[in-house]
Amino acid sequence: MRCPAWTRLLLLWVSASALGAVDPGAATAPRMEFKPPRPGTYQLQKIQPIADAALLDSAGRLQKLSTATTSKITLLTFFYTYCVDPLGCPFAHAVLSDLRGRLIRDARLAPQVRFVSVSLDPTTDTPATISRYGDFVSDHQKFEWQFLTARSVEQLLPVLDDFGQDVSVELAPDGTATRTLHHMLKLFLIDQNGVIREIYTLAYLQPEVIFNDIQTLVIESRNTAARNRLAQE
Amino acid sequence: MTINRKNIRRIRIFGALLTLLVAVQLAHADETCNSPYISGLIKGQEDFIHVWTLGVQGLGDGSDKLVTIDVNPASKSYGKVVASLSVGGRGEAHHMGFTDDRKFLWAGGLDDSKIYVFDVGSNPANPRLVRTISDLANKSGYIGPHTFYALPGRMLIGNLSNAADKGGVTGLALYNNKGTFIAKYAVPTAKVDGVQGDGYGYDIAVNPAKNVFLTSSFTGWQNYMRGLGEVVGDPQAMKRFGATMVVWDLKAVKPTQVLSVPGAPLEIRWALVPGQNWAITAAALTSKLWLIKQNEHGAWAAKEVGTIGDPAKIPLPVDISISADAKGLWVNTFMDGVTHYFDLSNPEKPTETYQKHTGRQVNMVSQSWDGKRVYITSSLLSKWDKIGADNEQVLRGFNWDGHALSQAFEVDFTKEGLGRPHHMKFTAKPSQQLAVTSLETGVR
Repeated sequence: MRCPAWTRLLLLWVSASALGAVDPGAATAPRMEFKPPRPGTYQLQKIQPIADAALLDSAGRLQKLSTATTSKITLLTFFYTYCVDPLGCPFAHAVLSDLRGRLIRDARLAPQVRFVSVSLDPTTDTPATISRYGDFVSDHQKFEWQFLTARSVEQLLPVLDDFGQDVSVELAPDGTATRTLHHMLKLFLIDQNGVIREIYTLAYLQPEVIFNDIQTLVIESRNTAARNRLAQE
Repeated sequence: MTINRKNIRRIRIFGALLTLLVAVQLAHADETCNSPYISGLIKGQEDFIHVWTLGVQGLGDGSDKLVTIDVNPASKSYGKVVASLSVGGRGEAHHMGFTDDRKFLWAGGLDDSKIYVFDVGSNPANPRLVRTISDLANKSGYIGPHTFYALPGRMLIGNLSNAADKGGVTGLALYNNKGTFIAKYAVPTAKVDGVQGDGYGYDIAVNPAKNVFLTSSFTGWQNYMRGLGEVVGDPQAMKRFGATMVVWDLKAVKPTQVLSVPGAPLEIRWALVPGQNWAITAAALTSKLWLIKQNEHGAWAAKEVGTIGDPAKIPLPVDISISADAKGLWVNTFMDGVTHYFDLSNPEKPTETYQKHTGRQVNMVSQSWDGKRVYITSSLLSKWDKIGADNEQVLRGFNWDGHALSQAFEVDFTKEGLGRPHHMKFTAKPSQQLAVTSLETGVR
């Protein structure tokens, strides 16, 4: 039997809680007290191009980050497999699962979009670990969802720096490091050319808005292609 | 994996964010007036106040500078200047704002339009200047960067003027956090939703839950870099002040409404309490409080809701600070040096319940998240500050018990050879629960 995404994520959270204790605080999802503007009625800013890097895929193969962030519209987020903060990775994955459902229902849109999840903890999240996690979270549906990790912390740090993704380790009272990583939840929308076009944080992490933004990029790409054709003629 | 010195240093660059770290569930909140996108809410005792300070010729090195003051009563250096970082020139230092990760402070000069980026995350006790951005006018055509408002990965800058005629028609400039210009957006000069725009700019305030941000309006370089007495005595100059606020679609960055708010509406503060749908501002020239509220149809309206001091005496309300629960508002009036407290329980009818003379001239006012501490600075603009004995240049810290302000410390910026203190921002030391360490160590 296939569980709904939220149920699976809850199970994930409960199972992960056994690994580490964290006070998640008051769980408040972002409020959305507006009707999102229609796709194509606005432009998304070209925030920054992404610097390339060498990461590992879930089979342990070396992969250029750019191959996972170009040619399709990409939603990229950073995670770690044992994250238990309900408003952290599980929340991001729930949003992505919601979006995946919307995308899969649109046969023309789905092949133009991919999700990429990059581990914040290359030491624990080996290719084998993210492979198992990916199987669990992505549920083998016909939608491209890549899980990547780094060969080392040293090789991960420039990637985090480029994206402006902070991460740090919580210490126990005795000063030893715990298994809790803190990071500001960010979801990056990247266009087909590898340029970041939107960054969603908890204050603005609404599937409807993200879905419209994806469609806006598709419309933009279509219009650009049409203009190029006209110019050639 | 081995961790060498270089690696540890790199890790610290990121790990230093621990100084201000919070779990992601706090990312939607802030200390009452910052962007809601900023992480690292300081709910307890702040450790440092960074003061963007105008240089004064002949005083110290004469340069604009970022002054850092220890404000933790438990510290041996409480109430003392612990760092002073000059930028090597005078450009009318004014306002500043954190990036979304709260690691960097962007600070602007209203005269030279330079933007300085300070690293306050690595070691808040000793900020470093890491970047100077000098292309604002060339890229956008705007000058006088005033408000620095963090968006994720970006900084939205509200400007006061333009390079062409140095008047008040201006716009917004958007940079990414690496300091690269992205886009510009003109404040409307035409009618929007039936109301005439004036094109003037000043503050920015975002409400993500409503997909809205507001801008307010002040005056251009020709006025703010001219003596206040001259401006007031020039009827034509007095006509060149903003009289509008603009409602923008946040996602599209498009104006959707112009609101008529006469008298130069300045700082804007949203009530970011869930369920609230209003913001408040103070109009400097008319000394009025204005409420900006959404109606049942989703449209926004501005309404005059209160008076600050005696408007006939032009007390000049210059800064406001809203409490975390949106039930109280501090207002500083520059000319009479008074700090006012308004009960905002009913935002339609703010009621002044307390006031104190806090200086010969007072400008900025900032409060801690818990509302127990209130800080004021004295300088408004280099050419608008008072002269002679009234030109007092101080930062004063007060304790607030809900009934009265009691002064806790004072830093005299003239005696210290620093300059004119203007905008303040808080930082905190690393939490004992969160320390600079490696990711590798943390996950084993």
